Amino acid sequence: MKSKIAERILNSTPKDVEIYVRLYADLVVRITDILKEKQMTQKALAENLGKQPSEIHKWLSGDHNFTLRSLAKLQAELGEEIIYIPQKVIYTHYIEGGVKTMHMTVVKNSAKPSIDTLYIESTPQPLADVI
Amino acid sequence: MNIFELKIWDDERSKCTFYTVQWIDTEISETDKFLIRYETSHSDAIQQLLSFILKAVGEDHGAVDALFNRFENEVVGLPNKGNARLGEFKYHYPEFPLRLYALKITDNIVVLFDGGVKDGPTNQASSLQGKWQEACHFAKRILEEIRDKNIQVDEYNKLLTNHLGESEIII
Repeated sequence: MKSKIAERILNSTPKDVEIYVRLYADLVVRITDILKEKQMTQKALAENLGKQPSEIHKWLSGDHNFTLRSLAKLQAELGEEIIYIPQKVIYTHYIEGGVKTMHMTVVKNSAKPSIDTLYIESTPQPLADVI
Repeated sequence: MNIFELKIWDDERSKCTFYTVQWIDTEISETDKFLIRYETSHSDAIQQLLSFILKAVGEDHGAVDALFNRFENEVVGLPNKGNARLGEFKYHYPEFPLRLYALKITDNIVVLFDGGVKDGPTNQASSLQGKWQEACHFAKRILEEIRDKNIQVDEYNKLLTNHLGESEIII
């Protein structure tokens, strides 16, 4: 069951808007999670980055424009990857009578897995199915 | 009179079920009223807000604190605080023109109310005041019903039920 009005608006939403909104939420949640995991306060992060705590508060609660440079600084200080860029890799598969080369794009980042996903991923599968 | 139904608005998202409220003598929910009121005059903002709610919250993260951080008494204002720029794209959430009020029951159950245009520094000083007060009123009554166990919170199935375990919830 879902709102027909919401469905209509969502269907007319440009894809880039949806992608941006989801990326933005991913960034906010990722940075907040890393700070929690490392038990790092915004004040400590500010000291380590040589900035005022008020400036870091802006970074994390709203009044900062994330740029690649600010994300790089955050990533360096937090010691955890915040964003991933997918890279294309070449995979060579040997078959009878020749070599088959495949190009694959490896995407590392994804939404935090749910308990259900973890269960599915931990279920052993035959190698042939995985390939 | 003064009786409303707490009903499912969207239960097709993997991380969160969204509820809304609807006065018993009306045909349309408070959240749909909000969408209809602004879908033409603020179409870009409505699209962003709906993507935030149904995609980022509903499918990616659930109603985690990092995304539900604009506390305004009993309710939270959506979208969350924050803005960002990635390359050429720049979004100003602090200056986001609309607010939709919501009540987070759990990370996986959220009630959406009505909202409006944020045209003042505070809710009290903007035309939002009436909608905000109404949302707080809805939220108080829902929280009371949960506290009195007239509404059961089924976290496993991401659902709310009445004291009989049925989906129809009239308050």
